[in-house]
Amino acid sequence: QEAAKYEKKVMVLDFVTPTPQGSSWGLGGTCVNVGCIPKKLMHQAALLGQALQDSRKFGWQFTEEVKHNWMTMTESVQNYIGSLNWGYRVALRDTKVTYENAYGEFVGPHTVKATNKKGIEKLYTAERFIIATGERPRYLGIPGDKEYCISSDDLFSLPYCPGKTLVVGASYVALECAGFLAGLGLDVTVMVRSILLRGFDQDMANRIGEYMKEHGVSFIREFVPIKVERVEEGSPGILKVTAKSTAGDQMIEGEYNTVLLAIGRNPCTRRIGLDKVGVNINEKTGKIPVNDEEQTNVPYIYAIGDILQDKLELTPVAIQAGRLLVQRLYAGATTKCDYVNVPTTVFTPLEYGACGYSEETAVEKFGEENIEVYHSHFWPLEWTVPSRDNNKCYAKIICNIQDNERVIGFHVLGPNAGEVTQGFAAAIKCGLTKEQLDSTVGIHPVCAEV
Amino acid sequence: MGWEEVQVRGYSEFVRTAQSYHGRPIFALFCGDKDAEGKSWCPDCVTAEPVVRKELHNLPDDSVFIYCLVGERAYWKDPNNEFRKNLKLTAVPTLLKYGTPQKLVEEECFKAELVRMLFTED
Repeated sequence: QEAAKYEKKVMVLDFVTPTPQGSSWGLGGTCVNVGCIPKKLMHQAALLGQALQDSRKFGWQFTEEVKHNWMTMTESVQNYIGSLNWGYRVALRDTKVTYENAYGEFVGPHTVKATNKKGIEKLYTAERFIIATGERPRYLGIPGDKEYCISSDDLFSLPYCPGKTLVVGASYVALECAGFLAGLGLDVTVMVRSILLRGFDQDMANRIGEYMKEHGVSFIREFVPIKVERVEEGSPGILKVTAKSTAGDQMIEGEYNTVLLAIGRNPCTRRIGLDKVGVNINEKTGKIPVNDEEQTNVPYIYAIGDILQDKLELTPVAIQAGRLLVQRLYAGATTKCDYVNVPTTVFTPLEYGACGYSEETAVEKFGEENIEVYHSHFWPLEWTVPSRDNNKCYAKIICNIQDNERVIGFHVLGPNAGEVTQGFAAAIKCGLTKEQLDSTVGIHPVCAEV
Repeated sequence: MGWEEVQVRGYSEFVRTAQSYHGRPIFALFCGDKDAEGKSWCPDCVTAEPVVRKELHNLPDDSVFIYCLVGERAYWKDPNNEFRKNLKLTAVPTLLKYGTPQKLVEEECFKAELVRMLFTED
C-alpha cells in the first residue's frame, strides 16, 4: 500500500499452503491469522476466566459454575479474523494494489510464476520484488508427527476442543499456548528438551515457568518425543506419545487428546525459486541475509520480516522495515529500520515485557562490573483482595555504569506487561538514564510505578 | 439459474426472508426508507443504490439479493434498533454478504470495483 501511494504499479501474491491437517486461512499473514491476533484473544479468554474467579472476592455473586465453550470462543475469534482478511482486501483494492491468491516463485530474472489453488499458472514481470514469505511451524520428523500432531497453524481454528494437551517445545509460542489452554481449564503438559525461552533473559524465563507450574501446567523437562501413535479416533481422539530422555536412556509414555508442536519455525524460502535468480540464503537455516537496507545480494530483490537473518521476528518490525524501504525507494527518504531496542511481550499467564538487553547478554557485552541491575518484586493492588500471589510479579532494569547509568535493559513480569513496556521503550530510545527514571514521579496505584 | 431480488422492509421481514433462502448465497443492501417521491432520507444511500444496481449482473448464480429498507431516520438513529443490535450494522448504506464478515459501508458502496469484489470473489 505504501508503494501504491507513490503511484507505483503494485501486485501482492499471497498463498497459504494448507497444513498437514488441512488448515488454511485468508490474507494477512501469520500474525493476523495464526499468530498474535488469535493468540492474544485466547489469552484474554483465559484471563477473563481468572477474573471471574477473582470477582467473587470483590463481591460479585453467582451460583452457577462457570464453564468454557471452545467452539463459541473460536467462532468469535475466526469471525474477527475474517473481518480483518476482508478489510485488507478492501484496502488493497481501494489503493489499486493488485492482489492474487496465488503461490509465487521466481522462474528467471525479474519474472515470477503465480499458481492459484486451481493450478492455473500466470507469469508476471516487475522492476523490483520484495520477499516477505514468513515462516511455518517445524515438525519433529518422528513417526506420527504430521498425521496426528497439530501446530499453532491449526490450533486457532480447531473445530473441536483440544482436551488434554501435550505441548512440545519451550518457545514463547509453546508457553503462550500452554498458558491459555490451561487458563481455559484444560489439562496441559509441556515437554521441554532443555531450557525455556531460548534467547530471552533466563532469570525471567524461569520465573515464567515457575508461575505456570504453580498454576496448573505440568512440565516434563529434558525429554523429546520419539513417536506419536493414535490409540483412538475422534475429535479429539486419544494419542499415545513415547518420549526419550536427553540425559540418559529413560523412556516414558503418555496419553493425550491433542499434541501441539511448537518447536520452532522454518522460513518459507526453499521453494520459491531463489536459486533461479541467484538470491543467497543461509543453507542451514533458510534465512536470507540482507544489508541494512533490506536488500539481498540481488539488487532488485529485497526481503523483510521473519525470513531475514539475524533480525527480530516481530510483526511491527516487518511492517516498519517494509514502509521505510518503500519510502527510501520511491520518496527519497534515507531512514533505515532501527532494529535496536525493540520492545516485545510474551503473553504467558504472567505476562512478560522486555526491551533491550537480557541480563546475560549485557554481562557478556559490557562485563559484569560495568552493569548494575535494579530489581523489585511487586504485588498488584488488584491481586490483593483475591489473595493472589504476592511475590511473583517482578521488574528489573539493567544499567550501563560507564554510560551515565543508561538503562540498557528493561524487564517486567506482571499483568498488562505489554502496555507497561511500550512507554518505557520510547524512553529507552531517548537514552533514559537511571537518574531520570528515579526522578520520574510514579502513577499510583499502578504496577508501572515500580 | 441466475440471481433474484427480493425487497423487504424492517428487521423481522429481513430475518424471515434471509432464513427462507438458507443455503443460497445471500447479499443484502440496507438503505433508509424512501418518501412518497421515492427519495431516501439517507443521501449516501441515494448515491450508492445505482452503483450497486449496476453491478448486480455480477452476482453468482443462484444467489439472492435482498433490498432492505431499514425504517425512518429516527428509528435508524436509535442506538438500540434491531439492525444495530442483532446484525451489527453501523451505518446505512451497508452492502453485505450474509453470514460472512464481508461488507461494504457508506462510501465504500460508491466504488463499483469494491461492490464487484464483494459479489464475485470468495
